[in-house]
Amino acid sequence: MIRIRNLSKVYDTRHGRVEAVRGINLDVAEHEFCVLLGPSGCGKTTTLRSVAGLEVPDDGEIDLGGQVVYSGPQAILVPPEKRDIGMVFQSYAVWPHMNVFQVVAYPLTDGRKRSPKHDVMPRVRGALELVQLRDLEDRPVTDLSGGQQQRVALARALVSEPRVLLMDEPLSNLDARLREQMRLELKKITRSVGVTTLYVTHDQAEALSLGDKVCVMHDGEILQVGSPKEVYSRPQSLFVAQFVGEMNFVRGRVRGRDEVDSPVGKVKCPVPPNCEAGREVTLAIRPEHLSLSSASGDGEGAVGGKILSKTYLGDSTLFEVEACGVALKVRLSGDSDFDVGEQAGVLFPPGRWRVYS
Amino acid sequence: MSAREALSGATLRRAIAGAGFTRRVTQEITRHGFGYAASGVVGILVGAPAIAVLLMSLRVGIPGRGGPLTFENYYRAYTDPIVLQVLLNTFLFAIGTVLVTLLFTLPLVWLFNRSDLPGKRAIFVFLIAGFLVPVFLRAIGWILIFSPEVGLLNTLARSLFGVERPIFSIYNLPGMAFVQGLSLVPASFFMLSAAFRAMDPALEEASYVSGASRLRTIRRINIPVSWPAIAAVMVYMLMLAVSLFEVPAIVGWPARIFVLSSLIYFAVTPNVGLPKYGIGGAYGLLMMVLGLVLAFLYFRVIRETKRYAVVTGRGYRPKMLPLGRWRYPALAFVAVYLTLDFVLPLAALLWVSLLPHAQAFSAAALSKLTLVNYRQIPELIGLRPFVNTTILVLLAPTLSMILSIFVSWVVVRQRFRFRGVLDGLAFLPHAVPHILFAVALAYLALLFREVLPIYGSVFIIVLAHTIAYLAYGSRTMNGVMIQIHHELEESGRVCGSSKLRVLWRIVIPLMAGAVCNAWLWIGLLSYREVTMALVLRGPENVVLSTLIWQLWFAGLAPEVGALGVVLIAVVVPIAWGARGLFASIAHGYSGGTDER
Ligand SMILES: Nc1ncnc2c1ncn2[C@@H]1O[C@H](COP(=O)(O)OP(=O)(O)O)[C@@H](O)[C@H]1O
Ligand SMILES: [Mg+2]
Repeated sequence: MIRIRNLSKVYDTRHGRVEAVRGINLDVAEHEFCVLLGPSGCGKTTTLRSVAGLEVPDDGEIDLGGQVVYSGPQAILVPPEKRDIGMVFQSYAVWPHMNVFQVVAYPLTDGRKRSPKHDVMPRVRGALELVQLRDLEDRPVTDLSGGQQQRVALARALVSEPRVLLMDEPLSNLDARLREQMRLELKKITRSVGVTTLYVTHDQAEALSLGDKVCVMHDGEILQVGSPKEVYSRPQSLFVAQFVGEMNFVRGRVRGRDEVDSPVGKVKCPVPPNCEAGREVTLAIRPEHLSLSSASGDGEGAVGGKILSKTYLGDSTLFEVEACGVALKVRLSGDSDFDVGEQAGVLFPPGRWRVYS
Repeated sequence: MSAREALSGATLRRAIAGAGFTRRVTQEITRHGFGYAASGVVGILVGAPAIAVLLMSLRVGIPGRGGPLTFENYYRAYTDPIVLQVLLNTFLFAIGTVLVTLLFTLPLVWLFNRSDLPGKRAIFVFLIAGFLVPVFLRAIGWILIFSPEVGLLNTLARSLFGVERPIFSIYNLPGMAFVQGLSLVPASFFMLSAAFRAMDPALEEASYVSGASRLRTIRRINIPVSWPAIAAVMVYMLMLAVSLFEVPAIVGWPARIFVLSSLIYFAVTPNVGLPKYGIGGAYGLLMMVLGLVLAFLYFRVIRETKRYAVVTGRGYRPKMLPLGRWRYPALAFVAVYLTLDFVLPLAALLWVSLLPHAQAFSAAALSKLTLVNYRQIPELIGLRPFVNTTILVLLAPTLSMILSIFVSWVVVRQRFRFRGVLDGLAFLPHAVPHILFAVALAYLALLFREVLPIYGSVFIIVLAHTIAYLAYGSRTMNGVMIQIHHELEESGRVCGSSKLRVLWRIVIPLMAGAVCNAWLWIGLLSYREVTMALVLRGPENVVLSTLIWQLWFAGLAPEVGALGVVLIAVVVPIAWGARGLFASIAHGYSGGTDER
């Protein structure tokens, strides 16, 4: 449905060239919910706006539902108003001089798919129904709360039934609780409509919970594409491991094909093929994969340590433990009896370690 | 490969490269059609007069009478012994004007924005009214009071104390600078207030929080931080002062004190003989260069001020310093200014308008008070000046605003390659003295009188004003447009509307208030403008301001008084209704003023 090939964009700024996007490739299938995830400044917005046609890339090709909307080599550029898209902006961008109905009706009255008058009303009502704003249609949009404006923006993006929906950090202006609620609802709505979605965020929790597919971007490039589960459990690079979820990192030295020496002892794990023995590597393991035991001695898959801090998070507890000169984060579910200053053993389960060169 | 094949290969490649180039050019033009359209229109409107100045300085004789290009005009203009004196006069007049302006403006701005001065609202209304009274009317008022022969003050002194020689005269450079400087106070007040308001109060508060005293904060923070804004206003006023014409003509002409602008004016509108456009152009080019240098300086300084601007723009009131017993001297200062700039000249106008002929205040004069001057206005001047003025004040702001909106939409919103150039072109009317624009337009209209017969009609004044106020309009619209989040517009595009439709349905409605304000403002400027209308005048296109001017130079003081009072009486209620507009200018939501 969305096909991006070799997309690149360079900004010439006063302080020099910024390569915002460096030749990325991406495919989003029909009805798929694809999330672009990455730290701020990595080029997500630029990519999304290129798909919308609001930004003109320097090179590459973009294909929406079989239509080439941008092609550098063939000099094709379809303006945004001729692309079959809906978009939700970070600032919502609801027009303050209109009321809710007028905003949502705009794509049908002034937009790409103008509808006959008698058709506008039911379709706008339908869209408002979808976002549960049916009662507010006569309100000026400036009277609405942030969350409601967000819904108006979503209704406007969906009312013309576009085949592609683009969203740029739509939840980032909402407060934490509302964000979570909207997240669930967004997922429900896009799923029920079945629209192909490209969604941009820097929040990994949002990405993992929303996406059918997550693309991790860094510095203008896509580092990894996969299902949320893949990206979380098998990050392919150090950056992805660092950026998605929490991770403990330990320096190590390769000893054999599936063995690495580290301050916390010999670790058994598959070593990437390009790492010969003696090479310095980074070992990584998630805090929730570690656990604590009251036996504080070293052993097979366990080292003795001292608890440095304890953070109670409600559903889990996060410990910081110093063992063998390394600070490790350990997440235990629920509350726990261990206390700051106590000696405890850190247990490493087999098969959870990952190695990055 | 044979030589011929290699040759044809090269030709082919060149052809392909050529086609690629053509395609890129077509693509560029279709993609940025609005940008090129706007640049074209503004380029012609602004560029043509600028080039015309150059052209006419290189030609002798009547416009359109061909002939070779020559430097004769420059030779004649700059070997004239008067020229050194005129340059010196211009310089002294400009510096003196700016000094007088600052002397009054700085305390006023500070008192108004940072202290608990009582009666701010009333003072504000006076400032507005002062701004709207045409400068030449104020100058006339001053002459009525301070002229050595007929001045009310001097005749009064003569009759009271029996002094023989006049005790006071304004027919000299300091007098001119004083009158002109006073007249620029409201404009610079509005500009500087805007800059003051835009300054981040947190800078000041951080100093207090760090434990600095009030005086130390003023010395270490307030003054350094506001210095760029003051410097910017200074440069701007200097730019105006070298180009202003009204006071130098009204006060300077009788005393034979010329500055560049009046020299140009009298070169192109001599009382006897043919207009010497060539000489005017030769002086005009110097003036234009001067204006451009100052404009460049202004931009440099303005960039400095932006560094201190508030980013958030939340409605914020800085703390007002209690004046305590200092409030009486402060009020006295304000009163002196208002009396000098507003009350006295207006009172003088009103006084002469009620008498059969100008004379000092006395019991005898009181008994002769009459309304005859007012009653005879209709038969004296007829309907035409009113009709022309109405056409002018409706059409000029409309055209100017349409152009301004379009230009700043391209400059701010379209990723147009040459938007900087376009913005600069639109600013040019600020830098190039208005009198030059008018002279150049007159010249062009004479040159092209067959194609576009607008010479001597009111439409050439409309055109001049449209161009002149484009600078103000586009600057204001830039400021407003920048505040409209770009996503508001982009969301319209994504919904499937074309650029123009988005401009019409979303951008313009969002700016409606600002657009109306700017329209009204330009209308008011147009109403009180006299310089350009004067240069472009003919028998058919008299407007109220030029009419008063002509009556004054014909020596009809009572009629001038009556018409002047009418002119002011019309405009003051409008100004009162539009107080909000002025407040918005003073608070910096608008692009400043355009005092000319
Ligand atoms: N209009 C612009 N002009 C210059 N640089 C820009 C512009 N827009 C974005 N950039 C730069 O391009 C890079 C990527 O920006 P963006 O796509 O907005 O990142 P993200 O959305 O991932 O935070 C950043 O370094 C940013 O500074
Ligand atoms: Mg972004």
